Amino acid sequence: MSELTLSRLVDILRECAGEDEAVAAEGQDIGDVELEYLGYDSLAVMEAASRVKREYGVELPDDALAEIRTLNRFVGAVNEALASAAAQRSA
Amino acid sequence: MANRREMVLLLPGQGAQHVRMAAGLYGSEPVFTAAMDEVLDAIDTFAAGEGKRLRADWLTDRPSVDLDHVTRSQPLLFAVDLALGRLVLSWGGRPDALLGHSIGELAAAVLAGVFTLRGATRLVCDRIRSLAAGPPGGMLAVAATQEEVKPFLGGDVVVGAVNAPRQTVLAGPDPALEVTRKELAEHAFTCRRLPSLSPFHSPALAPAVAGSERVIAALPIAPPELVLQSCYTARPLRYEDVSDPGYWARQPVAPVLFWPALDALLAGRDTVVVDAGPGQTLAQLARRHPAVRAGRSTVVPMLPARPGPPEQDRAFVAAARESLAEHDLIGAQSR
Repeated sequence: MSELTLSRLVDILRECAGEDEAVAAEGQDIGDVELEYLGYDSLAVMEAASRVKREYGVELPDDALAEIRTLNRFVGAVNEALASAAAQRSA
Repeated sequence: MANRREMVLLLPGQGAQHVRMAAGLYGSEPVFTAAMDEVLDAIDTFAAGEGKRLRADWLTDRPSVDLDHVTRSQPLLFAVDLALGRLVLSWGGRPDALLGHSIGELAAAVLAGVFTLRGATRLVCDRIRSLAAGPPGGMLAVAATQEEVKPFLGGDVVVGAVNAPRQTVLAGPDPALEVTRKELAEHAFTCRRLPSLSPFHSPALAPAVAGSERVIAALPIAPPELVLQSCYTARPLRYEDVSDPGYWARQPVAPVLFWPALDALLAGRDTVVVDAGPGQTLAQLARRHPAVRAGRSTVVPMLPARPGPPEQDRAFVAAARESLAEHDLIGAQSR
């Protein structure tokens, strides 16, 4: 399974919120903007995690999810979970 | 400077409350402090000692009554929204429209001159007294459209709020609401119980609020001096609307149409959207609006998204003031 990318996560959140246009950030890396400043509350983040689970087969536990403050952290947490699942399979 | 943007003030309702919300401003911002005291003192005249208990529960880390309980969340949100709104007015700000979510609309009504502070506080106290006697229940936010949740409604579970295109809030008594939550989860819908112990905006509260029209009819009322966008009709309220006691009496059982009401305000106008409440709940929804995404409108929160130290509350208010001055919506601060 391929890794989750920032642009794919941006798309997933756009779909979760039912938006036509993807979020953009001026003058800074959108991946480092706190999620609430992108308009994504905990329900949107939970929904994104559930779509990621269906698409990538990894689940982020609720307490880990609650700690995620940015898109980059979200992408990192998913890819770490993917990597450790792959390591377990090859072990 | 481009054309002057319009100012829209958002005032949140149930779900935005948190322990010590806006408490960092108390004693530090005189206008805010005076408004909080005015509401809490008024509550004391309607229910002896209750204003003092409310102030104590508001300012402590360990409230004696859960802040999510209707007797705490409702009066404190009303007071904090109103006090933040008064702060903006004291800076010389004149909002082009006010949009309150649920109890926030009562704070907006005071800011617009429809109710006196004392009159609206009377209404809030009466509402709390009747709601506290209502059935236990709650609200459930679902990451879905209104259409998608329709097959799951029934019993006493209804749509209580339309917060965003894919954020629909269901309301109802327990255990019916919990049964609905399980059904939605089985169909892979993402749901979250909101911090509410009452089934706000559902018919389950109808018996509890029966009789509130009499109290409301006795309150002094005036035409709105500012545009008061209704979160129940998604249109500005006229004198015929605000002078009908039934309009206010129905609020605890009527659905909140926040997104349609916001959408009507932002369509075709360049706006600075000020979230005059704790927790940035409405700011987060407004940030998803196409007008904000496109950069035509912008969102200014007056308080942090998460609870923090008192200095953080003060820093957010200072930044909000600066931002409104930059947009020419208030005069520059004299020092």
